[in-house]
Amino acid sequence: MNGAANTDRWIRWLNTVQLVIAGVLIMAPTVWMVLSSFKPSFEVTAYPPTLVFSPTLENYAELTRTTPFLSYALNSLIVTVGSTALGLLFGIPAAFAVSWTRITWPAILTLAARMAPGTLFLLPWYVMFRQIGMIGSYTALILSHAVITLPIVIWVLLPSFDAIPRSVFEAAQVDGCSVTRILWRIAMPLVASGIAVSAILAFVFSWNYFLFALVLSNGDTKTLIAAAFNFIGEGSTQWGALMAAATLIALPPLVLAALVQRWLVSGLTLGAVKG
Amino acid sequence: MASISIRNLTKRYGNFTVIPDLNLEIADHEFVVFVGPSGCGKSTLLRIIAGLEPISSGDLYIGDTRVNGVQAAQRDIAMVFQDYALYPHMRVYDNMSFALELRGTPKAEIDARVRHAAALLHIEPYLDRKPKELSGGQRQRVAMGRAIVRNPKAFLFDEPLSNLDAKLRGQVRAEIKALSQELKTTMVFVTHDQIEAMTMADRIVVLQSGTIQQYDTPEAVYERPANQFVAGFIGSPAMNFFPVEWRGEGAILSQGGTAVPLDGDTAGRLRQAGSAVLGVRPEHFAVTADAADGIAVNIRLVEPLGSDTLIHFDLAGGSAIARVDPALRPKVGDRIILRPQSGKTHLFDAANGQVVQ
Repeated sequence: MNGAANTDRWIRWLNTVQLVIAGVLIMAPTVWMVLSSFKPSFEVTAYPPTLVFSPTLENYAELTRTTPFLSYALNSLIVTVGSTALGLLFGIPAAFAVSWTRITWPAILTLAARMAPGTLFLLPWYVMFRQIGMIGSYTALILSHAVITLPIVIWVLLPSFDAIPRSVFEAAQVDGCSVTRILWRIAMPLVASGIAVSAILAFVFSWNYFLFALVLSNGDTKTLIAAAFNFIGEGSTQWGALMAAATLIALPPLVLAALVQRWLVSGLTLGAVKG
Repeated sequence: MASISIRNLTKRYGNFTVIPDLNLEIADHEFVVFVGPSGCGKSTLLRIIAGLEPISSGDLYIGDTRVNGVQAAQRDIAMVFQDYALYPHMRVYDNMSFALELRGTPKAEIDARVRHAAALLHIEPYLDRKPKELSGGQRQRVAMGRAIVRNPKAFLFDEPLSNLDAKLRGQVRAEIKALSQELKTTMVFVTHDQIEAMTMADRIVVLQSGTIQQYDTPEAVYERPANQFVAGFIGSPAMNFFPVEWRGEGAILSQGGTAVPLDGDTAGRLRQAGSAVLGVRPEHFAVTADAADGIAVNIRLVEPLGSDTLIHFDLAGGSAIARVDPALRPKVGDRIILRPQSGKTHLFDAANGQVVQ
């Protein structure tokens, strides 16, 4: 008995150690970024890095003084919300259709498109959008970012739709539901947590996507992440301002995740069937 | 309320034929039970009636309407699923009112019908609960309530009792039967449990490999099984089968050569056929003291059931069961003489299993 209790204690201790190591590895760059954003510029690149310093808002002041930060933030928000909405609008019915029909090749096709490097799309898109005069428009950015959001929505939701017992859909059919109404009234409420997760992931990936915005935006539609690139200069890089920008860029996805946390808890389908 | 008519129906999955050329007429207000072993096609047939499976060929009529291409949503039938298939995100009330709401039924009428059905099924206290907050039996009632409020042309039940414990199953079985008498609607019930079939049905469809083996009243299926499969499937414990042949002036067991006393009609048919399979239900053995009038067997196992006692014995190279009076107090190793009751024996063709006429 004593031996078993000791083994349990060791396993618990090892688990904690693993979690701490993983946590440090994951969080270290973020902590470094946030701390650096509050350091005076000469201390940002100091080696070894300083952990004790007099915090300053100098970098944030510099950021707002030298760039139309709010305007870029608004651009990011428009493009991200637009592409996330587009991803959900088409991704939810697409995932449901794949689950309903068990025809999986369209989902695999979208995944293949997502796995391809972004640069692959860039040249044809640039040529296409330029020809129709849409370079620098929100529409071009939203459409291009939908390539990122759509596969995320489809692949996050597919297992959620698959997890709903088939008989629940059949009961709805017998009750008089059309397929679209089954999606709207039965399937979507049951995968609400999955929709929340897919929306957050789509938002984060679109918000942080750099390449399409760099090429397809102009001065008026530049997103935050593309604008932050301006702080990296050929001669010198403004690390402090860059860290301040990065910290502010990271905030919205974090706040969003915190706000919708309760949706991330699954288990809504519990009690659907026999038990 | 409507009749259901299935004409030359075939169901195939790829090259595999599940139901070959099936014909069936279910009358208006009739309670018909599909029974058969796993994979016999009974659930497939029910799902075809519901509109959840397409028909490969043939016709299906509900009332006077041919519904081959009609979607499930438009067939106006209600179905209770094996796993109940309640909408987990809706309250019991909403589960029951959903179909009516889809049909644009006025709110006051929806409310009245839901509350009436809830009263009928004793689920009024649970109307505001979600399915996950109910027990298995309560969920089963909600599933039935969802069907009842519809007032559909026909009710379809797909093994709805299989997830309930034995006591609850017996109770709900009686309730469904009472409900069918009250609602007077066409009902089709699928089960693999022959006791459910016997106790609830006006008529039973016994299925095997997608083919109807017999379609008749429970009494007829029990007393006059059409073939050896039906005889073996209906009745618990199952009917005993012994290969027999006519030798000289009487019937003997093919294996062992023991003489078997048969009534005149059965003996006459066996004499004509030469050999056959004799079927005797466990409850159709009589215990006799006269060794010349029966078959002496050694008891191998005794199962006292209270009202009856089952005795197991070996005969003609196989195992057999007889149901006897518990007052006999049979014990393992006892020698007992059994005689098939007159008029209660069955003869089947050894080659094709059909009744020997």
